[in-house]
Amino acid sequence: MKYLALVIPLLFVLVFLVALIRKVKLYDTFTEGVKEAIPLVLSLFPYLAAVLMLSELFERSGLSAMLTGALAPVFRVLGVPPETTKLLLMKPFSGSGSTALLSEIFSAYGADSYIARCAAVCYGSSETTFYISAVYFAGAKKKKLFLPVAIALFSNAAGAILGCFLCRFL
Amino acid sequence: MNAVFAVLFLLSAALLLFRAPEGFLPALLTGGEKAATLSLALLAAYCVWLGFFKVLEKSGIAGGAARLAHPLMKKLFRSDDREATYLAGCNLTANMLGLPGAPTPLGVKAVRRFGEAGNTYAADLLFVLNATSLQLLPTTVIALRAAAGSASAADILLPTLLSTLFTTLLGGFLVWLLSKRKKR
Repeated sequence: MKYLALVIPLLFVLVFLVALIRKVKLYDTFTEGVKEAIPLVLSLFPYLAAVLMLSELFERSGLSAMLTGALAPVFRVLGVPPETTKLLLMKPFSGSGSTALLSEIFSAYGADSYIARCAAVCYGSSETTFYISAVYFAGAKKKKLFLPVAIALFSNAAGAILGCFLCRFL
Repeated sequence: MNAVFAVLFLLSAALLLFRAPEGFLPALLTGGEKAATLSLALLAAYCVWLGFFKVLEKSGIAGGAARLAHPLMKKLFRSDDREATYLAGCNLTANMLGLPGAPTPLGVKAVRRFGEAGNTYAADLLFVLNATSLQLLPTTVIALRAAAGSASAADILLPTLLSTLFTTLLGGFLVWLLSKRKKR
């Protein structure tokens, strides 16, 4: 794992050196890039705010727990433990929430249990889909997000089922 | 998204009305607060990466990489826009390497360019590839497992890699299928 810490600093040093050799004004260029950061964040903010408020409401109203309860038996048949199903449903909405849930599962069942390993794989192979869709399609003219989001959610669920299956052997 | 938002919002609000109406406003405020803190964290990451990307661009490295990757990206995204395919390629690379905060600004720009050109297929594909992102090293999970006292924290590497490879391929295939159906 140690050499991984080298990747990012080396990348910066290499690119900056090449830029210097090609007579790029480093300070001017770097600040020119940073200038784009604030407009970008501003353009994403309304979508982020709406999606995060919605996820908070979804979680606190108990709707998410009800959905988990309804879906758990279906996923159990497919080999996904109920605890993992909760994680799988949480991940598209909240990265921090699912990270907290993952460590809860680790401490409740032990980090090397089958449930914990399934949860780890589900966590690693799925993404915060709603958040990504809010950010990526922010400001895009296209309004029909349903199908791409559905495809992403479906693929991640299928991947989780495969992941839990693999955890039995690997 | 309008329909999803309306349905989820109204259902959740209705449930809260019965269960704990006093929790409604705090929930919204917490969401807003999270958006504010997250935006600050994103701003910090974008400052670093957008500065870096500008240097990458001006040094000519970006142009070279774009030329090299263009034939492949052109096929993948069905786009002749070299700028957009370059952004998309960098986004995917940054994603696989797990550079925190780097993929998003690239992805947002690429999706916008694809969208402006009316290339729905490319925008959808890039989004789905990001949402099913190929994880070469699930660092967070390994760190969490090690912290929880796992005997071999990294033994979920192979199943994770296989299942994320599967999700990426499945997602890509479904987007391709969708674009085929639309054409007819």
